[in-house]
Amino acid sequence: MDFDFTDDQNSLRDAVARWVGKGFAFERRHGLAKAGGATRAVYGELAELGLTGLAVPEAHGGMGFGAVEAMVVMEELGRGLVNAPYAQGALVAPALLAAAPDDLQAAWLPKIAEGSALVVLAQQERAARYRLDRVETRATQTGGGWTVSGTKSVVPAGDEADAFVVPAAHGGGIGLFLVEKAAAQVRGYPTQDGARAAEVVLKDAPASLITVDGLATLEHAVDVGIAAACAEGVGLMDKLVALTVDYMNQRKQFGVPIASFQALRHRIADVKMQLELGRSMSYFASLKLGEPAAQRRRALSQAKVQLGNSMRFVGQQCIQLHGGIGVTDEYVGSHYFKRLTMLEMTFGDTLHHLGEVSARMTDQAGVFA
Amino acid sequence: MDLRFTPEEETFRRDIRAWVATNLPKEISHKVRHAQRLTRDDMQRWARILGQQGWHGWGWPKQFGGPGWNAVQRHLFEEECALAGAPRVAPFGPVMVAPVIMAFGSPEQQQRHLPGIMSGDVWWSQGYSEPGSGSDLASLKTRAERRGNVYIVNGQKTWTTLGQYGDWIFCLVRTSSDGKPQTGISFLLVDMKSAGVTVRPIVMLDGEPEVNEVFFDNVEVPAENLVGEENKGWTYAKHLLAHERTNIADVNRAKRELERLKRIAQAEGVYDDARFRDQIALLEVDIVALEMMVLRVLSAETSGKQSLDVAGLLKIRGSEIQQRYAELMMLAGGPYTRAFIHEAMDAGWQGDHVGSALLSPLAGTYFNMRKTTIYGGSNEVQRNIVAQTVLGS
Repeated sequence: MDFDFTDDQNSLRDAVARWVGKGFAFERRHGLAKAGGATRAVYGELAELGLTGLAVPEAHGGMGFGAVEAMVVMEELGRGLVNAPYAQGALVAPALLAAAPDDLQAAWLPKIAEGSALVVLAQQERAARYRLDRVETRATQTGGGWTVSGTKSVVPAGDEADAFVVPAAHGGGIGLFLVEKAAAQVRGYPTQDGARAAEVVLKDAPASLITVDGLATLEHAVDVGIAAACAEGVGLMDKLVALTVDYMNQRKQFGVPIASFQALRHRIADVKMQLELGRSMSYFASLKLGEPAAQRRRALSQAKVQLGNSMRFVGQQCIQLHGGIGVTDEYVGSHYFKRLTMLEMTFGDTLHHLGEVSARMTDQAGVFA
Repeated sequence: MDLRFTPEEETFRRDIRAWVATNLPKEISHKVRHAQRLTRDDMQRWARILGQQGWHGWGWPKQFGGPGWNAVQRHLFEEECALAGAPRVAPFGPVMVAPVIMAFGSPEQQQRHLPGIMSGDVWWSQGYSEPGSGSDLASLKTRAERRGNVYIVNGQKTWTTLGQYGDWIFCLVRTSSDGKPQTGISFLLVDMKSAGVTVRPIVMLDGEPEVNEVFFDNVEVPAENLVGEENKGWTYAKHLLAHERTNIADVNRAKRELERLKRIAQAEGVYDDARFRDQIALLEVDIVALEMMVLRVLSAETSGKQSLDVAGLLKIRGSEIQQRYAELMMLAGGPYTRAFIHEAMDAGWQGDHVGSALLSPLAGTYFNMRKTTIYGGSNEVQRNIVAQTVLGS
């Protein structure tokens, strides 16, 4: 049992942090968000750092790194409030394509690794909420190929992507299909957290089959996404707490720093508690990704419950501790809060995952149960 | 990063598990699993069994007769004991006073006291709190005046857990009124059979005499029982607090009690009620998160590569979780927990339980657990400490 990072993992962390420090100041982030949230250029810079190949197997031009490396990168992207669809494009998409036939992998994974293609999961449907097994989009086999029809909502970076991985029902279950953007009607819009998403309408859209039996792959890929969201949340919270601590020590009222008031001191102690519980469960999430499906899914749901509660508490209380400046658009802290808020509702919110934990409870409990 | 224990650690765990299975008396683990009343004999019997194996001081280094285990091994030992239903070892001797005697005591004090603590024969108590000194411990007033070869001790300690069983008590006493309150405190070992020591049990809200007042009326204490230097006792007491880290979270016991909560909820028909079940699920998440935090501290202590200053967080969270599982158990029992039959918590009681035997101890345990956020530095004091660390001001 060991929670230290290797030298290589620390170097990876430093490399991402250096890029954030040099190239992604808040002014740039703020400007991009105000201009509509397009971040493909930012994604390209992450690709130049080699980060888009992180989870792609070496055989397809990637680095084939593991969950801990992904966690390290996500923590730093969170800390830097980076609004590029890195988790979606570089972590979740390769996990989905792992189930694809060799030729489809060979066609897309090298491009994902080099960052020239952005492939994102188009999963959300109006009636599904957070359930992965409730799919109304239909796939139909036509001669030698497939077409899919349906509407997918709030697809991350939908109008900046090159292709979508689409879960769709056919006679025998839920399949996964790759649909190129040109085959879809895409209506993009900015998001609350400074990026973009889109409604994606598919009408008999030509599709490449990834797998006819795709639910298990989809669940695994979403768990990869949950671990990434947890790690990003930790980075966001770490930085927001640091900003708040600085503010409490500088800001004076009644002639003294507000950090001297016990009501506020106890609040920051509670914030620190939620941050460390969240960090602990983010580690748990990444380290459990390789477990068999039943244990993995329970663990990732447990982690998302903790992170959901932590992100909401830390976000809300750090805004409160800032007073009026915390609820302005010009202040960087409010943007951390908005990203934390939206992350809670990414890949299943706290109540959804509490339900999952509740349904999966056994007599035993604990980290090793 | 690796969540798994090493093969050597797993072997260690299996060895401990096998030893506990063989040596923990069934009638004692049955009482623990059913929250029945433990007698002094039960507690001391287990302490002596551990002592014979050299494990009553399971955190001790080899030079003082301990097993010399690292932080992970200590954790695994505690976990196996807790999950098997062993009584919690009274920490006052092996966990609290022994490390102070090792670090600051004279060779004579070490030879005199440590063997009796390890063997489980000598029961120690803690003399810290006073009626006027709780969170503000340094304001304590119990005086020790040096007269030749003895100290004359006068004053009163309180909240002395299980002090009615105590053979010896380690006390913080005032030896000087000069300077800051912290600088006039000394660390003194007192034989509780000394003339002038009076112990008066305090009945707590659950009806149990768990703690005591200890009165000192011109008690003569040999000067050789002073640990370290006069007026340095506060430093030694802080060393003691720093020594108690992950154990304070009691996460292993929480895992065992969560299993009991599930059994009670199943028996009472609320385990399949979504509203109740979700509360158990949330507690389960809280316990996993606490365990992960404990494991992070163990890893940091073992590798020495990170410093993780979260002892205050562990105390706050651990105590909140203890209160929560006790609360949920009582709520699962519902109206049947209202019955207060004192003898119903004794093993072998032949009377009729109200509802079922599972339910008799639940309200009492809930009431008892309110102490956990108060003792060991109240959770509000812990928040002060955490805030100081976070804010650096």
